[in-house]
Amino acid sequence: MGDLRLAWRNIWRNKRRTLLTAASIFLAIFLALIVRSLQIGWFDNLAEIVVQSYTGHIQIHKKGYWDDRDINNSMAFNDSLAAVVKSNANVDKTVPRLEYFALSSFEKQTKGVMLAGTDPLKEDALTKLSAKVVKGHYLSTGENSILVSQGLASYLGLTAGDTLVLLGQGYHGISAAGKYPVCGIVHFPSPVLDNQMVYMNLATAQEFFSADSRITSLSLTLKNPDEIGNTAAALKAEVDGGKFEVMRWDEMMVEITQQLKVKTAGGKIIIAILYMIVGFGVFGTVIMMTNERTREFGVIVSVGMQKSKLAMILVLEMILIGLTGLITGVAFAMPIMLYFKLNPIHIWGSMAQAFISYGIQPLMPLALKANFILSNVATVLVIVSLTCIYPVRRIFKLKVADALHK
Amino acid sequence: MNIIEIKNLSKVYDEKTIPVYALNGVDLAFKQGEFTSIVGPSGSGKTTMLNMLGGLDTPSGGKIMIDGTDITGLKSRQLIDFRMRNIGFVFQSFNLIPVLTAKENVEFIMQLQGVDREQRDKRTLELLQSVGLGEKINTRPNKLSGGQQQRVAVARALASKPKFILADEPTANLDSKSAENLLEIMEKLNREENITFIFSTHDSRVVAKARRVVTLEDGKIVSDVSKN
Repeated sequence: MGDLRLAWRNIWRNKRRTLLTAASIFLAIFLALIVRSLQIGWFDNLAEIVVQSYTGHIQIHKKGYWDDRDINNSMAFNDSLAAVVKSNANVDKTVPRLEYFALSSFEKQTKGVMLAGTDPLKEDALTKLSAKVVKGHYLSTGENSILVSQGLASYLGLTAGDTLVLLGQGYHGISAAGKYPVCGIVHFPSPVLDNQMVYMNLATAQEFFSADSRITSLSLTLKNPDEIGNTAAALKAEVDGGKFEVMRWDEMMVEITQQLKVKTAGGKIIIAILYMIVGFGVFGTVIMMTNERTREFGVIVSVGMQKSKLAMILVLEMILIGLTGLITGVAFAMPIMLYFKLNPIHIWGSMAQAFISYGIQPLMPLALKANFILSNVATVLVIVSLTCIYPVRRIFKLKVADALHK
Repeated sequence: MNIIEIKNLSKVYDEKTIPVYALNGVDLAFKQGEFTSIVGPSGSGKTTMLNMLGGLDTPSGGKIMIDGTDITGLKSRQLIDFRMRNIGFVFQSFNLIPVLTAKENVEFIMQLQGVDREQRDKRTLELLQSVGLGEKINTRPNKLSGGQQQRVAVARALASKPKFILADEPTANLDSKSAENLLEIMEKLNREENITFIFSTHDSRVVAKARRVVTLEDGKIVSDVSKN
């Protein structure tokens, strides 16, 4: 009779109690996984939207640019920086941009705009900008025309085929002025973007701002976004830290990150409460089991089993109960998480409207990642192990003669 | 030759408040092959004596030498190991492990001793047959009668080939037929295999079978009579 077999038989001597304990562990891990899967799915989805709508996963700027987004804080985009970025195996796409404010004017209307000089093909690969064209056509490489956002076009009263005058301050204070034909109108669901964006080729913007070969940011997308931390660290180590800053999207979009953290913390508190309740439930079982079997422990030690071995069998019993709950809990949660990862939940009502107004599809996919599943499994195993402290102490303090007369 | 020697053994409960002497300066010795009953009224110290002899409790004073080893000087782990190799126990309430079959209960100690499977199986079968339970080897305790459970307990006590067996009121929970049957088995094992049995008992049938009767009162030996 091996220790494992003995432990397995022991836990089934009171089937109802074992099943109830395992069921409470099942419910805890099941709910915890679903809640975490929803939270992480929500977080990842929003992150991907932020990344794909503009920032990319990582950006490289001249040091200090993000705090002071001035054209004088632009950087020369040279071969050595491109080589560093290309050498990182996790970097997928790169989009160089030169962005700065300018004053736009059409007939009697003027308005401040955000002028973004970019590579049309690379930009489209990252942000799918061509899909947002509602009039005219998408910007071609080398073309000297511009894309204007719909809200801005509406304010100025222009449309595709018209010409927009742009005025501003270029690199090192040089005057910037030019007139550009509008090749297309693009619509952004976000009002902030829709009321101020103008896109042109990067070379055109560099000429407009007298910033030859300069960019304000290099946006990167990653093949494996989960490796963002390691990739950012590797890039930081490679580039000259005195000249450049390497920033993750969540470091740039601090407000969004903080909002997500608050939501995540709320969920974690709920899970912690759930685990506490389950922990006390399991502890109750352990106390009952220990008290019921005190005489049996006395017999086993009296016939020659060392207390340490007996304690180990008891811990094994609790781990077996824990694993029964855990394995079934994970086995039930996994298909649900997988299904809703592949078929995201459709959000309805006012929340859906809020999503749409920010250009986000009202969908909530669940996440299915090994790290949060394993961390929850480990948490339950730690809780179960902690509940074993009581019986293990009782066994080591056991007075055999007293135990035999219980 | 003595296999057990007890010298000036005492056990005092509530030593710091109102001391109660469960055993008070007991000197006693047992030889190989004895079939001894320890008798006396309730509270006379019989169970305490057996607990001390089995190393299940620690004395307040005195020495217990078993085959030359002073067990009062052993540490907890050493004592557990010593019990496993030298002492067999039969308890009043049988105390079999409920989740194990008769066979598994008997081979449990041999497993702890590291006896290989082939030898274990052989000896387990022999022992269960010797107590008349060869047909019940795969039966769990809850499917056995009280008498049958106690016979499994005897087989278990013998499994480790102990120097002696301590039986605390072994017939107390048995009907007269089962008690008679159990006594016959133990007497036979004693007679044929020279196994030493020490009982604590109130049962006159056990006393009648015993070849030596030690009477305790208030923690002291008041008589020690050997028959024949």
